[in-house]
Amino acid sequence: MNAEPFQIIYEETKDQSIIHISGELDLSVVQQLRGALEPVMNRTDKALILNLKQLKYIDSTGIGIIVSVLKLRDEIKAPFFVREIPPSIKRLFDMTGISRYLTEGTEAEA
Amino acid sequence: MNAIHLQIPAHADYIDMVRICLFGIACKMKFAYEDIEDMKVAVSEACNNAVLYGFQDADSGMIDVSYEFEEQSLTIKVKNSGPEFMYTDAVGKAAPLQAAEVSDLRVGGLGIYLMQALMDDVVVNTASGATEVVMTKYLAAE
Repeated sequence: MNAEPFQIIYEETKDQSIIHISGELDLSVVQQLRGALEPVMNRTDKALILNLKQLKYIDSTGIGIIVSVLKLRDEIKAPFFVREIPPSIKRLFDMTGISRYLTEGTEAEA
Repeated sequence: MNAIHLQIPAHADYIDMVRICLFGIACKMKFAYEDIEDMKVAVSEACNNAVLYGFQDADSGMIDVSYEFEEQSLTIKVKNSGPEFMYTDAVGKAAPLQAAEVSDLRVGGLGIYLMQALMDDVVVNTASGATEVVMTKYLAAE
């Protein structure tokens, strides 16, 4: 098992704020992720996208953050997409029930 | 019964060590990839609770993890001292997300549900100022 360090890469396009997260999202990096989301999650002029392509691990702490972002974006009526969910993570999303509330979105849609 | 013991400071930065150790043991026992992933999450959830709720004096606590393996099963025990976490209340409420509207979703509370969903057996013992979560996974029959 390669314990890959958690990493956040921020990308901004004309109408999207994209946060790419990689490695292991656990309790130790919760503050780091909240910090990265803070400046963009209230913006209504851009869609917020969380790209999970390189994410290797998530547990209830990470899922909890996604739930809170979902709620906030819903409240301010701003788009939020979670993209490229790896199969092992999708399985946990299905199990916890969060899948049902997520919009995957494609490049074309968003 | 054979056992491997690991003690970590009760801090989030060390929970990955619990997963790495679990991974080594579970691989050696020839658990399926998916079962190993399940156990990694379940064990981390128990550690998360110990870190978040187990200690009033955040810098002084330790978490004891033991991996006890038998021919057909792996039992992981996560134990911490400190005030008892209200597992009995929480276990009864553990459930997946099920609100009709996003605005009604609750944040948090999924950890115990995940432990139960991902392991074959989960037992919580609380006694004399210590909490111990005992989780077992059986090797799938070939």
